[in-house]
Amino acid sequence: MMTWFDLLEGLRLVVSGTMNLVATPMLIYFLVINTSLLVLMCLAGWEFWHQSRRKGYAGSEQAVASQLGQGVSVVVPSYNEEVVIVTSVQALLALRFARHEVIVVDDGSTDATYEKLRGAFDLVCVQREVPDDLTTRGGIIDVHVPRDGRTRLVVVRKESSGRSDSINVGINAGIEPLVVFIDADSILEPDALVAVTKPFADDPMRVVATGGGVIRAVNGCKIVDGRMVEVKLSEPWLVRIQVVEYLRAFMLGRSGWSRFGALILISGAFGMFRRDVLVEVGGLDPDSIGEDFELVMRIHRHMIRKRRDYRVHFVAEPVSWTEVPVTAKVLRSQRKRWHRGLWETLWKYRGMLLNPRYGRIWLVALPYYWAFELIAPFWEFVGFVLVVLGFALGVVSTQYALLFMVVAYGYATLVTLVAMAIEELSFHKYPHWRDLGAILFASVLENLGYRQTTAWWRLEGWWASLRGKKQVWGTMTRQGFGDDSHAVTTLRGDV
Amino acid sequence: MNVGQTFLTVGAAIGLACASSVAVIAIAKVRRGRDVARSTAVLAPYRRALVVIASGEDQDGQAIAALSAVPAPIWARLRPSVVAFLPKVRGIPGVNLGELMRSHGEIDEARRMLTSRSAVRRACAAYLLGLVRDPDSAALMLPLLNDPAADVRMVAARALGTIGDPSAAMGVMGALRTQHGQIGLPAWVAAEALLAMGVEVGLALQLGLASEDPAVRNLCAVVAGHGTHFSAAPQLRILLATDCDGDVRVSAAVALGRVGGADDAATLARHADASETTVLRRTCAVALGDLGRLEGLETLAGLLGDGDRRLAELAADSLVRIGSAGIARLEAAAATGQGAGARAAGGALELAGLRGQLVVSGTGS
Repeated sequence: MMTWFDLLEGLRLVVSGTMNLVATPMLIYFLVINTSLLVLMCLAGWEFWHQSRRKGYAGSEQAVASQLGQGVSVVVPSYNEEVVIVTSVQALLALRFARHEVIVVDDGSTDATYEKLRGAFDLVCVQREVPDDLTTRGGIIDVHVPRDGRTRLVVVRKESSGRSDSINVGINAGIEPLVVFIDADSILEPDALVAVTKPFADDPMRVVATGGGVIRAVNGCKIVDGRMVEVKLSEPWLVRIQVVEYLRAFMLGRSGWSRFGALILISGAFGMFRRDVLVEVGGLDPDSIGEDFELVMRIHRHMIRKRRDYRVHFVAEPVSWTEVPVTAKVLRSQRKRWHRGLWETLWKYRGMLLNPRYGRIWLVALPYYWAFELIAPFWEFVGFVLVVLGFALGVVSTQYALLFMVVAYGYATLVTLVAMAIEELSFHKYPHWRDLGAILFASVLENLGYRQTTAWWRLEGWWASLRGKKQVWGTMTRQGFGDDSHAVTTLRGDV
Repeated sequence: MNVGQTFLTVGAAIGLACASSVAVIAIAKVRRGRDVARSTAVLAPYRRALVVIASGEDQDGQAIAALSAVPAPIWARLRPSVVAFLPKVRGIPGVNLGELMRSHGEIDEARRMLTSRSAVRRACAAYLLGLVRDPDSAALMLPLLNDPAADVRMVAARALGTIGDPSAAMGVMGALRTQHGQIGLPAWVAAEALLAMGVEVGLALQLGLASEDPAVRNLCAVVAGHGTHFSAAPQLRILLATDCDGDVRVSAAVALGRVGGADDAATLARHADASETTVLRRTCAVALGDLGRLEGLETLAGLLGDGDRRLAELAADSLVRIGSAGIARLEAAAATGQGAGARAAGGALELAGLRGQLVVSGTGS
């Protein structure tokens, strides 16, 4: 009969054998992934330095005043957004831009989303038809506009069919040549559209999409009438750590990729596209979990196959602010969905990986996403478990365990601190010393459990996809933008 | 090197780099705070005088005299505020702020900097000379339209537009061409510059409309429309009918809607035909509304039942903009009560009613 000692000895043998195989590759893996991030940071820092030097003569006033720029349809898919929808739409209508319309697509909300909008904007039902440039699933119930007939707001109510399909309906309803998608819980800075449309104005024949600025956490900030008036950090450490993550991933990672000319991911929270290109590629895929990533990949593939000269840009400024999950349950669902979306999109476009006709995307971006974005949670989780277990069982030396911690987590902390230094030198959004200190502390704290836990959640998402498990929707606590508004709403995109 | 030594080396390097990053963050924050406080304190006594000049209330010239006399260290801190005011003011305040800059030798310095080896300095110099609308600098800035740095080309074009020197028009158009895979001058910057130069660019536009470069033809078509250059209409008709570039045809259609005459209703109607591209058809439908001629009524009314529902919507909107005759057509279409044409007409009438356009046109709401 097998004793506990035998079991322990067996485990020792397994861990020892595995460590013999992976000890060095694991260190090299973390060394390479962190170094690659550092290189991307440096590219982004270089870009920001150039931008700051240009500020003196950038002429943003001319860009705001120009009547020649293309108009923008701002599409806001909404499902049970009664807490935030009015503030959000007010803020969008008040954006500084020569010509833009706001299209809210109410995806069969079961709360008072529509009633709130009707009350705030004095909506009336009109016969306006929504063209079918893109094929959509959810039937349109009715279309509403403000009674004054001049406020450029259109509210389309439709049967529930998901976020992507709602955006496709919004694209159909839009009349402007550029389309931007924005979540209802996001707040844009007043000049956001000016900045994000600028690449289209500069190079109208070639630019087909821009990643709209840095996404930051709105939790804890003071919002008045849909405008950010004071940037503050939220109390929960879960949110603070996400602030650090967003800073690293959105601002620096994507700026670096853009600088390198191989941007393949534009956030679904704020991305701008040429409407005709969206129609050409068929809009968002309603069956995709990572619909934003999938769309950009499809555009790349389409353009390259058609041999068209095109550009996808990332604009580091201005910023859009969005609510991040405040509970572990919602965060888990979000990360599972993100990783599942990443895997399914990478798998769907695996043909591009080995095809030199796709240039830098084939050569650098896709291999990077496969090797580091997709597989990273596996190595992060397995590496941590192996080293801790091996150390406990006595098969991993103290020196190796410490070296692993330094290379995997110490180096990652350095990457984050460099990101923060670049942020402080370029944008300095957090004015209070206390907040800055908290972010610094969070950059260390994220290595103590948070990263390992989110790695596990991401693996769960991957595994669910491999098993063909159906994606299910859940609920997320929405806090709203006001000081007193708290409510529980269903957020279908995040779970 | 064994694992222990590697750990010590890597750990020390990463630790040192982390500490350096934290130090950079802290020093940057402290320095910025101090700098803002120092500038605020230094500029406080001069703020009122600057606002007086920028608001055009310095009738006795005391404020400008006071600021012209500030010593160089204070001027260095005051200068960014003056430059920030310049794009926001016109007329006498702008001239006075320009004089203030001149009194501190900024204009002469900027002219010298136009040939600096630093692209940033060249751009800053061109920007400043444009802001103060210094006409004597226009000739000096023309070579910058072919500058190797994209930013310098852009700022020079803007500055030439602000100065309003039409002799620079051909140079601005020439700067559009792609260089080494990078765009030359951004199209919108070039268009804004040409528009700012006024009607005197008419001849240059005619040459540009006949250019071999589609980007130049497109730019000139846009400018012809926005700048209402009626003399460009014959060339726009040719471009709409024969140009090989779809974007140029679309721009020509938009421009014809603004500068065309009665005959152009038929031209635009021809290109709203089902054999044309979706984009061109839609553009022509809008252009017919811009044109506002009764000759376009039949075409627009015919488009109400088109399979392209966006086109139908645009046609209906154009009928509203044509006025009472167009609205009568819509009412007639809506009165049939069924079919796609009636829906489009009904929707447009509803929106026109909300906007008060039916009352204005005299047909009642």
